[in-house]
Amino acid sequence: MRKFLAKRAVSSVISLFLLVIAVFFLSRLTGDPTNLYLPVDASQEARDNFRQIHGLNDPLLMQFGNYMLDLVQLDFGDSIRRARPALDVVLEAFVWTLQLAGITMLGVTFFAILLGSLAAFNVGGPFDRIATFFSLIGASAPDFWIAIVGIVIFSVGFGWLPTSGTGTVWHWVLPVAVLFIRPFGLILQVVRGSMITALSSAYVKTARAKGVAPRATIFVHGLRNAMLPVITVIGDQAAGMLNGAVVVESIFGFPGVGKLMIDSILQRDFAVILAAIMVTAFAIFLMNILIDLAYAALDPRIRY
Amino acid sequence: MNYRTHLLCGAAVLALTGPAFAADTDVTIALNEELEVVEPCMASQSNIGRVLLQNISETMTELNTENGNLMPRLAESWEDMGDGTWRFNLREGVTFSDGTTLDAADIKHSMERTVSPDLTCEIGAKFFGGMTITPTIVDDLTIDLTSDPAQPILPLLMSTLTIVPSETPMEFTREPVGTGPYVLSEWNIGQSIVLDRRDDYWGEQPVVTKATYVFRSDDAVRAAMVATGEADISPLISQNDATNPATDFSYPNSETTYLRIDSSLPPLNDERVRRALNMAVDREAFLGTLIPADAKIATHMTVPTTLGAGVELDVPAYDPEGAKALLEEARADGVPVDTEILLLGRLGNFPNVTEVMEALQQMLGDAGFTTTLEMVEVAQWVEHYSKPFAAGDKPALVMAMHDNNRGDPVFSMYFKYACDGLQSGICDEQLETDIAEATATAGEGRGPAWEEVFARAHEISSDVFLFHMVGYSRVSERLDFTPTIATNSELQLSQIKFK
Repeated sequence: MRKFLAKRAVSSVISLFLLVIAVFFLSRLTGDPTNLYLPVDASQEARDNFRQIHGLNDPLLMQFGNYMLDLVQLDFGDSIRRARPALDVVLEAFVWTLQLAGITMLGVTFFAILLGSLAAFNVGGPFDRIATFFSLIGASAPDFWIAIVGIVIFSVGFGWLPTSGTGTVWHWVLPVAVLFIRPFGLILQVVRGSMITALSSAYVKTARAKGVAPRATIFVHGLRNAMLPVITVIGDQAAGMLNGAVVVESIFGFPGVGKLMIDSILQRDFAVILAAIMVTAFAIFLMNILIDLAYAALDPRIRY
Repeated sequence: MNYRTHLLCGAAVLALTGPAFAADTDVTIALNEELEVVEPCMASQSNIGRVLLQNISETMTELNTENGNLMPRLAESWEDMGDGTWRFNLREGVTFSDGTTLDAADIKHSMERTVSPDLTCEIGAKFFGGMTITPTIVDDLTIDLTSDPAQPILPLLMSTLTIVPSETPMEFTREPVGTGPYVLSEWNIGQSIVLDRRDDYWGEQPVVTKATYVFRSDDAVRAAMVATGEADISPLISQNDATNPATDFSYPNSETTYLRIDSSLPPLNDERVRRALNMAVDREAFLGTLIPADAKIATHMTVPTTLGAGVELDVPAYDPEGAKALLEEARADGVPVDTEILLLGRLGNFPNVTEVMEALQQMLGDAGFTTTLEMVEVAQWVEHYSKPFAAGDKPALVMAMHDNNRGDPVFSMYFKYACDGLQSGICDEQLETDIAEATATAGEGRGPAWEEVFARAHEISSDVFLFHMVGYSRVSERLDFTPTIATNSELQLSQIKFK
């Protein structure tokens, strides 16, 4: 196991290093931030001074070298826009994204497995119809539309929920609900398909023949064996959320990492872009390790 | 516990997690953009200015944007001492929110800090570039400011300089201290900023006791927040959301849209071609369709309330046939009128900007021009807008929107029209002389001097002026507050009353 973890860590560090190189040079190809940060009528002297302060006058390779030297000392640089350490800015935002993604994925996983299993047990039955409905909604309705319609109905219309913001549990209802729908529809379909295969297998038929109760047949014998592809999809969806739910964060005023990354790209805030990419990449690396461990826990044939 | 007990406990928890009741005199303001810094010397940025300007940080003078008059604020009076020196007499008994008393040393430090090369303050770069200001303390409440070159409008410039205590370090502060009626009491990064009223403010106590600023980038959400009572003011909503006459206001936002002509290259260096461009645009057709009906057709670079901009200039008549005739005349004289012209717009510059650019391209095409339309994001656009122009040797028309609510054209005209002006597309000897004269003129003659500048720019068809724009705000019915032209850059809580 240790060997496996070390191997994964080394390959992730290499990937991360290549990613940093690519992002560092590509982001600088997009233009000089001086024009964005100073007023359009700022003097040439002010512009030169700005570039000097932020190290933009140095040759690109020297800028990269300086950045890497700082990085090995865990100094991610300062945000030009916020005049603060870029890592602090990113971690503050990442906590919000982590909460939003965590709550949503917990709910999605629980309900998708429950409903998908019941749908698979009785194909064409009421649970199966509900599963099909949610899959269709998840695949076809865009997030921003669901979010705005949700605000119009539940906030402006009924006055049940706040339009946006944070502060109470009620503030989380609409954002989580909007984020919930798409992965729920997708994972539901994967659970259903995988469970149909599992429930038609010989060991489940044997269990039924032996008189095992339907609940145990589905959730003990069938589910455990159907979970491997489901975990893969759950991991994929969770990784997407850890990169930030830009639409939901923007509309509901959640100060998450997705919105931060988009704003930083538009503002040419290079240190924040790089820090955000590294933090999310690290989080995804950790999540992939957890998924690998889950594979091993569910299937005794898998050993690292 | 049975299920009823569970339900009751759940209800109690949810009730306790609900929002605390706010005082009747507290307000919530929904802004479209988060504040990344709360630095007073950056308060010329509208998102920062709406929170800090005159609420936390005050200035020595204050511009009345309605009538263009300059009013005392931290300075009670000022006088021209000659040779570029102005003397400012400070108000007595003014204290900062940290308890220290305002004196001339604070003014000196604020001035030096704002123009310091270590900070790159926007106020310094925007209003004090190209000049040197030397502060000299006369006594605790008197300071001389000497500018080189001499600035007849130095008192007006002082309406932009935010005053901080002399202890403020030479780096961006995260705890702004000012003399204003409010103090920053909470900054929840990315979520909200809270200002509380000071009890020891030197002036009249405002009615609003506490202001909470929240940040929502979506127009519809900000409008919905005021509609549901979650917020009291949204200074900026979209025209589409401004549907309730009881709460929604349009106001001139001091922005002027225009096509900047690069007159250094043929065929745009020919005055007939520039006149033809102006005649090709049907400005009336935009109003009430792609541009709000309340917007005004522009003939100047600045809004009419700016000094000298009240001069009546004719709107170029929409005459595509006349434009074609002018182009033919120019062609006969060897002007390459068929040269392809780049028509460049900036994505998100104002609502419907892409559609406006497409309509302009159509109108120019109907008048015989050949154009290619490009819509770019802000960073690329700036490279075309400021010298050296990125289009290189390709003639270009750049859609721009210029904001000047400071009451004097000097903040606009040099940059836009002088031969060395950073965004100037023209170099005209007479215009250059007129700008220099108007800039140096003080007193009664300054207005007429600027009138001549506007008239000359109009005469040589320097640009294709389009509209003085409007913005839309939503204000709760419980407030007695009407947005004005100043709302684009500041939102003084002391001007908010309750019905």
